[in-house]
Amino acid sequence: MRRIGFLFGCAFGGVITAVRMNEYNVIHNGLRLTNLYIFFVMGSAIGIAMVSLYILRRIGWVTPLGGPLELPPSRIERKHVAGGVIFGVGWAVAGTCPAPALAMVGSGGWLGLFVVAGIFYGLMLRDSVVERGEQKRQRRPRSAAREGSRALPQQTIPVDL
Amino acid sequence: MLDQLPHQLPWFICGPILGALIVGLYAVANKPLGASGAYVQSLQWVRRRTVVEDWRIWYFAGILAGAIVVSLVRGRPPIGWHYGALGAWVPVAALIPLLFGAGTLIGYGARLMGGCTSGHGLCGVSALSSASMVATGTFFATAVGFTAILHVVSGGAI
Repeated sequence: MRRIGFLFGCAFGGVITAVRMNEYNVIHNGLRLTNLYIFFVMGSAIGIAMVSLYILRRIGWVTPLGGPLELPPSRIERKHVAGGVIFGVGWAVAGTCPAPALAMVGSGGWLGLFVVAGIFYGLMLRDSVVERGEQKRQRRPRSAAREGSRALPQQTIPVDL
Repeated sequence: MLDQLPHQLPWFICGPILGALIVGLYAVANKPLGASGAYVQSLQWVRRRTVVEDWRIWYFAGILAGAIVVSLVRGRPPIGWHYGALGAWVPVAALIPLLFGAGTLIGYGARLMGGCTSGHGLCGVSALSSASMVATGTFFATAVGFTAILHVVSGGAI
C-alpha cells in the first residue's frame, strides 16, 4: 500500500505540475474566471471518474486491497459550509491548495513552503480546538470519570478524504 | 492567458489522466485520493502520534517527487522566490506572513470540512457524495468571490 501511495502521489504531483496548477497565476486566473483552464481540467477529471465509479459500483467491483468498492453516503453538515468558506478565502489569497502547494515546493517555488507550513499550522489549530472541546465534554459527566475513563481517551482521528 | 504558459499540457489530456488516477485508487484500494488527508497523516507522524494510514505519508512524499521529476523533465524549472502576480504586487517580507496566514486558513478549513480540492472537489463529487458537493460548491463560490474582491481592492494588480 505504501508503494501504491507513493506511485499515486508521484502521478498526482506530476499531473498538477504538468498543467501548472502549482502556479499562482494559473489558479488565480481560473478563480478570476478569465481563464477557465482549471475548470476544464477538474471538470473532465470528475466526468471520467464519475462515470467509471458508477460502472464499477454497478458491476460490484471488489478492490484487490480494500474489499468491495463502497462510497459511503455522507450527511451534509454545517461544518462543510463553514470549512468551505474558510478554505475558500485561504485558497483565493494563496492561489494554491494542499496538493498544488506541495507541487509548488517540488518545482522550486520556495514561497510555497510558507503555505505548506501554514496548512500544517491550520490543521494543528483545528485539532487543538477539537481536543479542547473533547476535554471539556469529558470533564462534565461525573459518572464517566468514576468508571475510570479519566485516563486520556484514545484519540480517534477521523480519516480525511 | 495560455500564451503566457508555455508547456502547459492541454486539459483534455491531463483532465482524463487525473480522472483515471481517482478511479485507479478507488478501484485498487477503495480510497479517495485526497491531499489534506496526506497532510493530516504526515503531521501525526511528525508529532509522533498514532498514524492511521501510513501510506498517506508516502503519498505526500510522492506528490513532491512527481513535481520535482516533471519540472526537471520539462527543463528550466522556475526555482526561486517568485509568486506570480501576487509576488509582483506584494514585497516578499509581507508575502511570507500573508502566505502563512492563507495556508493556516486552508489547513483549518480543510480539517473542518474533512477534505480539500482533491478529496471533496475531485473524489467526493465523483463519488456523488452530497456533502462533498456542498463543500466544493461553497469553497469554489467563496474563492471566486474573494478573488474578485482582491482584484478590486488591489486596483487590478492581482
